[in-house]
Amino acid sequence: MTLTDRQQLSYIASQAADARLNVELETEGMTLNIGPQHPATHGTLRIICRLDGEQVVWAEPVAGYMHRGYEKLTEVRTFPQVTTLVNRIDWLGSFANEVPFILAAEKLMEIEAPPRAQVIRTILFELSRIANVSLFLGDLGVQMGAITPVFLAFRDREYILNLIEGATGGRFHPNFDRIGGLKDDLPKGWIEETRGAVKKLEQFCDTIDDLLFGNEIFQSRMRGIGIIPADIATDYGLSGANARASGIDWDLRRDQDIPLSYDLADWKVWTHPDGDSWARCWIRLQETRESCKIVTQLLDQIPAGPVMTKVPRIIKVPEGEAWVSTENPLGEMGYYVVSKGGLGPFRVKIRSASFNNISIVPWALKGVYVPDVITILASLYFILGDIDR
Amino acid sequence: MGLVDKSRLPAPLTKLFNMSRSYSLWVYQWGLACCAIEMGAAFGSPRYDVMRLGVIPLPASPRQADFVCVSGTVTDKMAPAVKRLWEQMPEPKYAISMGSCANCGGPYWDSYSVTKGVDQIIPIDVYVPGCPPRPEALLEGVVLLQQRIKNEDMAAKWRGDEFTTLQRTRAMEAGEVDRDGELINVPTAPTLETAQAVDSVRPEPIVVGGGPIE
Amino acid sequence: MAPLSDDTTIKDGPSTDAPAALPGDGLREGIIDNLRSHIGEAIVDTKITPNDDLWIRVSTEAWLTAGQALKNAGFTYFCFLSGLDWMPSPYGTGEEDPDDEPKEPDTEIVQGYTGGETRFQVFARLTDLNRHVGVTIKADVPDDRLVMESWSHLFAGANWHERECHEMYGIGFDNHPDLRNMYLPGDFEGYPLRKDFPLLARMVKPWPGIVDVEPMPAEDEAESPVDDKGDES
Repeated sequence: MTLTDRQQLSYIASQAADARLNVELETEGMTLNIGPQHPATHGTLRIICRLDGEQVVWAEPVAGYMHRGYEKLTEVRTFPQVTTLVNRIDWLGSFANEVPFILAAEKLMEIEAPPRAQVIRTILFELSRIANVSLFLGDLGVQMGAITPVFLAFRDREYILNLIEGATGGRFHPNFDRIGGLKDDLPKGWIEETRGAVKKLEQFCDTIDDLLFGNEIFQSRMRGIGIIPADIATDYGLSGANARASGIDWDLRRDQDIPLSYDLADWKVWTHPDGDSWARCWIRLQETRESCKIVTQLLDQIPAGPVMTKVPRIIKVPEGEAWVSTENPLGEMGYYVVSKGGLGPFRVKIRSASFNNISIVPWALKGVYVPDVITILASLYFILGDIDR
Repeated sequence: MGLVDKSRLPAPLTKLFNMSRSYSLWVYQWGLACCAIEMGAAFGSPRYDVMRLGVIPLPASPRQADFVCVSGTVTDKMAPAVKRLWEQMPEPKYAISMGSCANCGGPYWDSYSVTKGVDQIIPIDVYVPGCPPRPEALLEGVVLLQQRIKNEDMAAKWRGDEFTTLQRTRAMEAGEVDRDGELINVPTAPTLETAQAVDSVRPEPIVVGGGPIE
Repeated sequence: MAPLSDDTTIKDGPSTDAPAALPGDGLREGIIDNLRSHIGEAIVDTKITPNDDLWIRVSTEAWLTAGQALKNAGFTYFCFLSGLDWMPSPYGTGEEDPDDEPKEPDTEIVQGYTGGETRFQVFARLTDLNRHVGVTIKADVPDDRLVMESWSHLFAGANWHERECHEMYGIGFDNHPDLRNMYLPGDFEGYPLRKDFPLLARMVKPWPGIVDVEPMPAEDEAESPVDDKGDES
């Protein structure tokens, strides 16, 4: 859209008139409180903004409405019991929460899951990423007043939830990962069904790409809004798609040596140089496609063999400390596990992605307009349980 | 309004009103944790489609809602907000507690920051157990609530002497609330006497699937 | 920044079972040497788990300078910061059988990797995104004054982590802009992650102990061997 000179001049004149009016009227600051229960906050996050006119001069997220005390509770649970808890940190991609904890425990015990279990873990990990991010893509429309995409997301997400339920028995919280492998093998016919469902999800990505990312309103509300430069991103510890959208080429699936089977598949880490809201959403869309690709390729490569190594009936983890983090749907999710040789961990520090991703909000919201608050928050993508733990 | 709670309506009229009310329920979604997504699936997705039951899931505010679905973990920090939401809703009002956390604390039964059951704060009509319950379970909870509404004595419900007023008076006597009805110590379990007095008037809560709430 | 030596310096030793050091371990030793050239004797102890990870403990006073030196050395990605309470919990771990005779609670404070002298420690993790290596850095918090130097001006992300740490452990941070509570309601008393903070619900209703153990699939292997593709059997 190009402006004529006349239009431009009238725009400048109106801006100048506004400015004069502002000086005359001396608009007083106003405090806008969003939340703790607000449709645009994905849960119970409360945001206090101090406004000058339409502009945010200061913003502060108030977390803690979902603080459940995970780190304390893990100290009074045994290692196998902890997975039940940590499922519920990021509740949209539950299986992905179990994996780093189990890997940390396995690292301390110096055992490794059999290859078949590793591949199935990776498949389920990616399926939970698809389940998570597809809802994000659907919800993105709601933030801008488009209701349709969320219906599409809920419809297509059910295919993935059915698969997860078929393999693990739980739609939401699988609790399927065990120290030393997996609880069970895949059920009959699951592989074929997964192929079909993943194709449907690929179509869903295409639909969202057309419907949302091709939409002019969506573009004008996302492009150039909420820019986060790379050095600020690393300073705040932004991870996952938020970091990659700022041009940081960093993906823990590729960049660390971890007993998951990502190297068996041919896939790509997407980055974007812009660092704006658009880039963050676009990266997530591409990642969902890559996840579909990973799943499809790994389905052909599931090796034969058991899904569980020999582990003692009552698991005691030797004394030591271990840090394992994986690339979860929201970003880097890690567990720092300290064991004293007992049945349960001595201390578990849960490094959740959203906590760091949201700590940038006071910085990112400074100077933006009120409607952009919602889109920036949506594009940073957080899950309350992942912030508060 | 005055007509309903002062005089007894003819039975056929009550039946008609109750049926109309039960099929035009505006639900306020108080989604807090994992269950909120399953609630979203039940209320917002084409697969489960709650609107066929006559439930409208999109009121603009609690002041327009007929029942609230509290789904997820209620923390001590959140509890005052839940209480306030409940007070903002107009009578007659109902509440569904969805998921183990809202029912009794669930997996966080020993946590230092979680309220062990939303029924410590607001009266619950239907408990939906599960962690999280499937959307179908929530839909069954809605159906059970509709059945309760159909068989209700409207005058009693309208007068509100079923639970809220009585609880408030008793609680004021016990020193748990101040004159404005704000709980002094939030959250706090009602005293034994209050609880017994309330239980004698209040209808038994429904548990989806029967059995104890766990 | 000192150039990192890539010589892997495979140590001659009697143990042949130990995994051979990969180039990564040489890199980790280079990181320690580089840090030592900046903060010198402030490095109290280090630990390298072969092919895996690196721990460095610095003295309390050098907490901020060590962070600065690591940031200058390329560790620009701030992962997390938190605290550790090494006192054994006086309430047990919740896994004891309630019918058993209650054991004398263990009170000896034993620190983990890289040792320590105090009950509380702070630890943080930084990552170098270019060299793909991370480091866990620890420091003692003096028992008489639970205050550390704040990292919030070094890494902006440390702001929230220090608030969390303050709330959970009561460890203060000097020069922190805003050490408010972030999770708990204002009238909450105590520091939940300290080991001597009791979980009241557990006091009222003790855990019944381990009552059942799920049978492991691997144990039934002899009876039902896993097929080539379990899903097509």
